[in-house]
Amino acid sequence: MFKQVDTQDLETVEVVVDGEPRKLQAGISVMAALLADGELNSRLSPTSGKPCGPHCLMGVCFECLMEIDGIQRQACTTEIEKEMVINRHLSETGENSHE
Amino acid sequence: MSKCYDVVIIGAGPAGINAGATLAEMGLQVVLLDEQQSLGGQIYRNISHASAELLADMGAEYQRGRELVARFEQSGAGHEPGATVWHVEADGHVYYSKEGTSHQLKANYVLVATGAMERPVPFPGWNLPGVMGAGAVNNLAKEAGLVPDCEVALVGSGPLLLLEASLLIKKGVRISTILETTPKLPPLTAVAKLPPALKRMDFLTKGLKMVSEIKRSGAEHYKGVTKIKALGKERVETVEAYSDSEQLHFPAGLLLTHFGVIPNTHIFRLIGCHLEWNQEQRYWFPKADQWGRTNFEKIFAAGDGAGVRGALAAEYRGELAALELARCLGVIPTYERDLLARPIREAILHDHHPRPFVDAVYAPLFSKETLDKDTVLCRCEQVRVQDVRKAVQEGVRDVNEVKIVTRCGMGPCQGRMCGPALAEVMAAELSAPPERMGTLTVRPPLKPIPLEEVATMELEGSAAQPADLFKNQSK
Ligand SMILES: Cc1cc2nc3c(=O)[nH]c(=O)nc-3n(C[C@H](O)[C@H](O)[C@H](O)COP(=O)(O)OP(=O)(O)OC[C@H]3O[C@@H](n4cnc5c(N)ncnc54)[C@H](O)[C@@H]3O)c2cc1C
Ligand code: FES
Repeated sequence: MFKQVDTQDLETVEVVVDGEPRKLQAGISVMAALLADGELNSRLSPTSGKPCGPHCLMGVCFECLMEIDGIQRQACTTEIEKEMVINRHLSETGENSHE
Repeated sequence: MSKCYDVVIIGAGPAGINAGATLAEMGLQVVLLDEQQSLGGQIYRNISHASAELLADMGAEYQRGRELVARFEQSGAGHEPGATVWHVEADGHVYYSKEGTSHQLKANYVLVATGAMERPVPFPGWNLPGVMGAGAVNNLAKEAGLVPDCEVALVGSGPLLLLEASLLIKKGVRISTILETTPKLPPLTAVAKLPPALKRMDFLTKGLKMVSEIKRSGAEHYKGVTKIKALGKERVETVEAYSDSEQLHFPAGLLLTHFGVIPNTHIFRLIGCHLEWNQEQRYWFPKADQWGRTNFEKIFAAGDGAGVRGALAAEYRGELAALELARCLGVIPTYERDLLARPIREAILHDHHPRPFVDAVYAPLFSKETLDKDTVLCRCEQVRVQDVRKAVQEGVRDVNEVKIVTRCGMGPCQGRMCGPALAEVMAAELSAPPERMGTLTVRPPLKPIPLEEVATMELEGSAAQPADLFKNQSK
């Protein structure tokens, strides 16, 4: 749903997303890197159980909260770094990290 | 140990950058905190790393940010990127989190320049994945070079909606429709405000050019639409609305919303600053004097966070605040402050000419009819419009009481997304002005941070306990 316009010299980082190793665009936020790689979902709503996607990309809506290196963080204000472990808990069975 | 500064500035948009540069050039100890990784704020996001292509697309106004950043970088002011401020006290203590560690700073003065956010306007389906702020997609282009590669629909109201549409068209993005809730004919209040706007033909011409670009692109463009709905199963697929009695239906791989911008007042409310209500644009802003001083001597406000007037005015108001701060800190005398302020005030006036007209044309519309009963109002806690109406019918009259009864505003976003609309829903139900509904109380931390991080923070002296920071929280 998004494409990169500036494809020259794009650097990537290796991270783990939902248990799978993945190469994502470096130097941008975790949420932008996921969007750049075709991912729209950020988590399941802890109240409705339905999938959520980022809405504001400026740290306001909290729809991009996900587990990053073990802590619930806003993916749109967190810069992606190599070896990050990102968990969105998109299948209900794996859902237990919300308070 | 906490560090001491003459001025701590929160927010690295045009207001914060200009204030920081001005103060540092006068030899004052300043640090600028921002949760973004680079300087620029919303408008000049990531400007230091912008590609030549982006700079060309965004035009001369975006370039201005480069000069601002360059000046800041030479000024000797400190910059703490990736620093999320989660608490500010009226005595000048500022707490922020960076890379998993929290820090405390002490400042003689704090300048809050946290900018604005897009006005959240709930409608059915607005919480589906793929429904995003127009500003969010603007941010993605600036920060990451990303552009939608699906068919896009835009809904809402305001100049930035049309600006985003024209930028997307320039980049070759297919737009299925632009659905404006703005009335087909401007209200009479706007007509009366046209003469001063005519002093800025440059501004008006730019707007007209944008509209004609949109027209030439062939995108279907409607005004005065009502009853917007985003539809889709797991994500947005189509958008539905009404134009008069005609039902409209358009594909939407992404649905971009924009209903104007409102000040980001969370920090001001946290500190306890007095707020004022903007009747026409229906938002709260901190009460401040002509230099940006709030009701607290040590707390200043500048930029769109102090009332939305756009990027140039933000830059100017940042400088005015800096001049007064320099006077307070004994670096310049009163006459010099006034002398330096004079051309800035003239520039502010010049910049301001078209705004009353634009604000009136794009005045937000809220009524019982515009707010569908099944709409999810609070995205965090899944509270619907009808839940709030029920509480009001049962006699609840204040937003904070509604919060307790319905959980509306209790989630991690602390009411940032539902607060303004919550007051509108209540006001419409009671046929009362929304400002009478109050504002949701904001408590530290402004953003959720792990308790261990707070507990391990080094505090000034040994008397203060981390737990004291949250002593009001259980209430
Ligand atoms: C999403 C969005 C996109 C926009 N795009 C355009 C555009 O393309 N063209 C245009 O003319 N106008 C645009 N505007 C309006 C424009 O942003 C403003 O007029 C201008 O940026 C205001 O400048 P400012 O200095 O007041 O604050 P801003 O530029 O908004 O900067 C505020 C800064 O404060 C930081 N901040 C906020 N809270 C915290 C916290 N708790 N801790 C740390 N940092 C914090 C933010 O990260 C941000 O960098 C946009 C507005 C929004 C909301
Ligand atoms: S997308 Fe809104 S907070 Fe991250």
